[in-house]
Amino acid sequence: MSEKPDEILTLFSKSEELLEMFRKGRAFTEELMAENERLRYRIVQLEKEKMDLSGTLMREVERLRLENGQMSQKLDFLDGRFHEIEAENKDFAQRYVEVEEQNENLANLYVASYQLHSTLDPGEVVQCIKEILMNLIGSEEFGLFVVDEETSELVLAGWEGEIAARLDRGRVAFGEGLEGIVALKGDPFFTEDAGERGEVCACIPLKIKERVVGVIAIYKLLPHKGRLSALDHQLLELLAGHAATALVSSKLYATADRKLKTIEGFMSLLRVK
Amino acid sequence: MSTKSLLVVDDSTTFRQLLCMSLVRLDGITEDNITQAFDGADALKKVQSGQFDLVLTDIKMPNMDGLEFVNKVRNELNRKDLPIIIISTKGAEDDIERGMQMGANGYLSKPISMSQLRELVTTLLGH
Repeated sequence: MSEKPDEILTLFSKSEELLEMFRKGRAFTEELMAENERLRYRIVQLEKEKMDLSGTLMREVERLRLENGQMSQKLDFLDGRFHEIEAENKDFAQRYVEVEEQNENLANLYVASYQLHSTLDPGEVVQCIKEILMNLIGSEEFGLFVVDEETSELVLAGWEGEIAARLDRGRVAFGEGLEGIVALKGDPFFTEDAGERGEVCACIPLKIKERVVGVIAIYKLLPHKGRLSALDHQLLELLAGHAATALVSSKLYATADRKLKTIEGFMSLLRVK
Repeated sequence: MSTKSLLVVDDSTTFRQLLCMSLVRLDGITEDNITQAFDGADALKKVQSGQFDLVLTDIKMPNMDGLEFVNKVRNELNRKDLPIIIISTKGAEDDIERGMQMGANGYLSKPISMSQLRELVTTLLGH
């Protein structure tokens, strides 16, 4: 009989323990369920956050794509501008070279015309024209003809090369040969290339207004010169005007000076008598 | 920039004037510092008596040509340090080679480009 209460007590104790265990299990289960609830809520929150972030990200991507497109357009525009400016720059550099070249030619023309008009001696004027043709134009063989109005012929006044040997008495009749035709018509003649020996590559009339007073014929250029440029043509035509004036004025001065000296000599003779 | 003295040798007055006009556009060169000579002999006397930083000479000249002048400056006056530029209508490769062998420091063929001349002068003067 005494064993029964002990057993009962043990049973109670065990059932208490079991109960306690169930209670703990229940609490733990409740805790788990609460945690589960919390986690589910958190998942919903995170899902929502994810959706929000995804929307933001998409919007950001779209914005960046748009920006990228705009930047690409800008880059294309800048690239185009850069090429335009580069081309403009090249054009300006080319124009600078041209202006510099023209400047040089103007300086050449200035010095040449200054020298041409610095003397009243016909011989010095002819020498000056020769120097210009050799040093500034680059002529190797040329002839400077002046008009003999009495015979209507061109007379060779200065030359370089073999032209004198080729001409009969150093004269060319008006209308004969290229020199004569140029003198008759009064228009300059240029060929594209430097001619072979004896072939005219430039022939320019020396004119005072419409009156032809001479002709410059270039037969051959210096080997390294190659050809006459458009600027050479201009320079030659401008120089021709100055050369014509210088030649005529020096000739007139020489004639007048000679006459004056004759008259002075005559007068002094009269005074002596 | 220090002033430089130049000697221009050519029998053509027009060309000498032209060179002077172009050279005075360079820094340190004024018309007063450019001496002119009409041939090699005249130039040689001027090199003996004066002090020049650079000489520009033609080849084809009366009395003494440019090549003989360069030769005398280098060998008789023993002026190996004096920069000399030859400017000539003779522009063939042989002519250029001969000029350089004589002792020239530069060679330009007429008709010359003035900007090219100024570039060469600037280089030789060590600007």
